[in-house]
Amino acid sequence: MSFSQLLSTSFVQNAFWAVTAVALAAGAVGYFVVLRRQAFAAHAIGHVGFAGAAGAVLLGLSPIVGLLVFCLGAGLLIGVGGANLDDRDAVVGVTLTAALGLGVLFISLYSGYANATYSILFGQILGVSTHDLVIVALLSVAVVVAVSLTYRPLLFASVDAQSAAARGLSTRAMSLVFMTLLAVTTVVAIQVVGVLLVFSLLVAPAAAAEVVTTRPRDALFVAVVVALFSAWAGLFLGVAFGGPVSFWITAIASTGYLAARLAPPRRHERRSA
Amino acid sequence: MKPLEFDDVAVRLGDRVIWSHATFEIEPASITAVLGPNGAGKSTLLKVVLGLIAPSEGALRVLGAAPARGNPRVGYMAQSRLADSLTSITARDYVGLGYDGRRFGWGRSPDKHAVVERALALTGVTSFADQPLGTLSGGQRQRVALAHAAVFQPDLLLLDEPLAGLDLAAQAEIVDLINLIRDTTGAAIIVVAHDLNPLASIVDCVLWIARRQVRCGKVDEVVNAAVLSELYGHPIEIFTTAHGRRVIVGLEEEFAHPHPHGHDHHDHVHEEPHAHLEEIYREETS
Repeated sequence: MSFSQLLSTSFVQNAFWAVTAVALAAGAVGYFVVLRRQAFAAHAIGHVGFAGAAGAVLLGLSPIVGLLVFCLGAGLLIGVGGANLDDRDAVVGVTLTAALGLGVLFISLYSGYANATYSILFGQILGVSTHDLVIVALLSVAVVVAVSLTYRPLLFASVDAQSAAARGLSTRAMSLVFMTLLAVTTVVAIQVVGVLLVFSLLVAPAAAAEVVTTRPRDALFVAVVVALFSAWAGLFLGVAFGGPVSFWITAIASTGYLAARLAPPRRHERRSA
Repeated sequence: MKPLEFDDVAVRLGDRVIWSHATFEIEPASITAVLGPNGAGKSTLLKVVLGLIAPSEGALRVLGAAPARGNPRVGYMAQSRLADSLTSITARDYVGLGYDGRRFGWGRSPDKHAVVERALALTGVTSFADQPLGTLSGGQRQRVALAHAAVFQPDLLLLDEPLAGLDLAAQAEIVDLINLIRDTTGAAIIVVAHDLNPLASIVDCVLWIARRQVRCGKVDEVVNAAVLSELYGHPIEIFTTAHGRRVIVGLEEEFAHPHPHGHDHHDHVHEEPHAHLEEIYREETS
């Protein structure tokens, strides 16, 4: 099969649309993850999703069901319990380890083929079915629409919670909105890059964007563009040269962040006393 | 209509009385300094006015109505700790969030640009409005924070420690700016501070909170030896320097023996030593 024929196969086509949907949602939500300094929560929710997926496999359900239930549950838990910055790390850490423990239990109880576990951990982008693709696309569109509708209050509560509260904005409600968006985005991103590499689309593009821009709208746009580029280029390289697609996506996104940091400084150096 | 009226207000957090029997009024276009030891409940007073904390007793009227969260006619500047997340935002965007940051949806407000530009111009921020906050000096950031708080030209403006962490030159600039905002917009302004001296030239009234009590009046009616001695329950002396600065002696006993005559012995308000005297000493000797 020639390379151009390979690109037109249905599994590569499905993969293309899946990475596109995921990159849109992850780039947008990732900007708020970086702005709110909640990378640890993003990391934890991914790992919690692993337990959910393992539990769903054990019960004979689709992994995405378990992912949704566990990620949303963890998101709400962290959103409520960790609304106060002082408690946040502890709440996230305890949620993370409790879920991972459950995941270990579910895997030990599961006697079937371990491939399902492997694909949850490292992504299974070339195995996305049309059914999965529809779910991923719908969830991603929902996330992007929700981010655009809540953009200003989410930004306000993220950068200055005290002033936002004084203006009558509930920072607890915004924390819940954010954690819900993060949970859903994590679920779709896991389809592409897996639990262990979810950061590559959720944090690296947004972190790069925050370094090179000064305006929130620009940062959001650049984060989405970097995520899209990483996802498309990663898929292309994986198909062209072999090797896991999630490896290529991770490598490109990380390189993007590194390049942003090494580029001529725009603000870190200008910081005055 | 007074911008602010307190009638026998008390505030309790849990089972702890923060202060009680607070009765006072603030005049339109006046500047009031809120003074008192750390932990006395100065920021709490602002939060009561904002409607974030409900009083346990008494009643207050904010611009003639009950306090309500998110009243655009009440501006608020929180105690400044520039969060990491704020460093990458430009001054213009931050002031813009003060204007429509609580609005959901896609719509844009047609007059946002004009309102934000007016606030930037009033506070002297226009020339550095497109720089990220992380690149600004402390005094510049306080100007931006004032623009954010005053973007609607509120009738009541609450400022929590706007002079904290600034050098003397920057303090003087911010004091002038507060006075300018009062003169331009006619807002009544309440300033929480730990030292009266930098503000003395613009302040009309003083609210002094100590030992769970609130005293309010003209500067000399409150900051005098008799009133403060009664408030603290031990002798306090006030000296005025040749430059008109007030040096208050006797407050330090409050920290060595907290509440020697207090009626409430399970009280656990933490009070740190006043910055007052050391700072004045530094000013006078530098």
